[in-house]
Amino acid sequence: MNLAKSKEALTKLQDYYVLAIKAPFGIFRKPFYLRETIEQMDYGGSGSFFIVFLVSLFIGMALSLQTSAELAEMGLKMYTGRVVGLSIIKEIGPVAIALSYAGRVGSGMASELGSMTLGHQVDILRVHGVSPIKKLVSPRVISSIIMLPVLTVVGDAVALLGGYFVSISVAHQSGSVYWSQIKQIMEFVTIFSGVIKPFIFGYLISTISCYMGLSTKGGARGLRKSTTEAVVYSTIMIIISDFMVTKILIMIFGIPV
Amino acid sequence: MIEFKNVMLSYGDHVVLDRVCFRCAFHEKIAVLGGSGGGKTTILKLMLGLVKPDSGQILVDDQDITVMSESELRDVRMKFSIVFQEGALFDSMNVKENVAFSLREFTKSTEEEIDKRVRDLLKILKIEDAIDLMPEELSGGMQRRVAIARSLAACEPRMMLYDEATTGLDPLTADNICNLVNELSRGEPPGRVGFIIVTHKVTDAAKVAERYIFIRNGNIIFDGNIEELKKTKDTLLRKFINELYISHGSA
Repeated sequence: MNLAKSKEALTKLQDYYVLAIKAPFGIFRKPFYLRETIEQMDYGGSGSFFIVFLVSLFIGMALSLQTSAELAEMGLKMYTGRVVGLSIIKEIGPVAIALSYAGRVGSGMASELGSMTLGHQVDILRVHGVSPIKKLVSPRVISSIIMLPVLTVVGDAVALLGGYFVSISVAHQSGSVYWSQIKQIMEFVTIFSGVIKPFIFGYLISTISCYMGLSTKGGARGLRKSTTEAVVYSTIMIIISDFMVTKILIMIFGIPV
Repeated sequence: MIEFKNVMLSYGDHVVLDRVCFRCAFHEKIAVLGGSGGGKTTILKLMLGLVKPDSGQILVDDQDITVMSESELRDVRMKFSIVFQEGALFDSMNVKENVAFSLREFTKSTEEEIDKRVRDLLKILKIEDAIDLMPEELSGGMQRRVAIARSLAACEPRMMLYDEATTGLDPLTADNICNLVNELSRGEPPGRVGFIIVTHKVTDAAKVAERYIFIRNGNIIFDGNIEELKKTKDTLLRKFINELYISHGSA
């Protein structure tokens, strides 16, 4: 990599940090853009409900099917609920729903802001003295860090329900055993682990997607590139940050969480 | 006064502007001409501080805007209004909301005052019937008129900047836009509001401008009035001004 490319990469990283730091604080200064934030919450939250429902239901069912078959071989089928519950709440639920959110909402953010950038609408905001970060990015970031945890909680519940249906209908397990196993794992550490991750994922997806959108250059091809990169970088960051958050939580709570 | 001093800008290996120097007053009527991708629009963006040059100075009323922050640039930008190619209207807002945008952002006007101001502007620009339409329902000419109305809504600019204001329009609509540019430049008191129109159509430039700046490969190769332009020996410039002769029916 030559010097010019290294400089360009560092400049981009610096610009991303500026956006990522400024965006969440946008809500504390006037004007508040409440309407825009609610619109984004509706688009990102209510609009994503169906896909989250579908993804979570089938993940829960598949996990229950796989787990009960494996555990049955060892004579431990009664622990299906425990394994499904821990996997869904701590890991698979937050990650799978964040990936779905990045694919649907993150790509939408990047393409919308990219289109506004190419169409000079972002320039018009700046000419009129309106901060694009405050007007366009802050509502999307706030919306994501509120709605992704909500979607994750809903998705986890749907996945556990899907696992329940499979465990009673296919694995012929007692429903009360399944729920009692899940009840046992519902401790503060488990729930905290499952809820803290979507906050971080929501922040990463929205800041990365908005940055990619606002830095779009070069017409339709540039828009394709920025939209693709928004999803790719979000996906990578979700996976990496998932590992890091898990590691930090283990360090804090001293047990595998 | 606006002054460019040795302004250089490049995107990667592509040099957009190469040590560009020129100065102009706010009341001047200037056309910036040149081929596509020649750096014409970039000059407008530099003037507003939307893009920072790699080197050189840009002085607006003796203040170097290249070292200013976004908040400091706000006062500088209030001296200008810009109309981008295609209008750059907010596509999630209708015409009324687009024009009222800056009024809502920066003034404490009541809804009644905003409504009156928007209707007055749309009437001046002869598009009052389009008040409830969305941008995608407007023709190219109407989009640019709405963009002009929006640019005038909340401030009284000293200079209008038009980026390819007539590109992609039929001759009649382009002519109407040129008339509008002339009308707005008369202002009150007469001649107070100048403009820079960026275009590659010499015929349209000739209808409105008094000074012509021609850019090629990032350099200003011509700066003068129409008479001087007609006398040029430069082959490329001759090709551009031939269009002027054709449109006037003389060789």
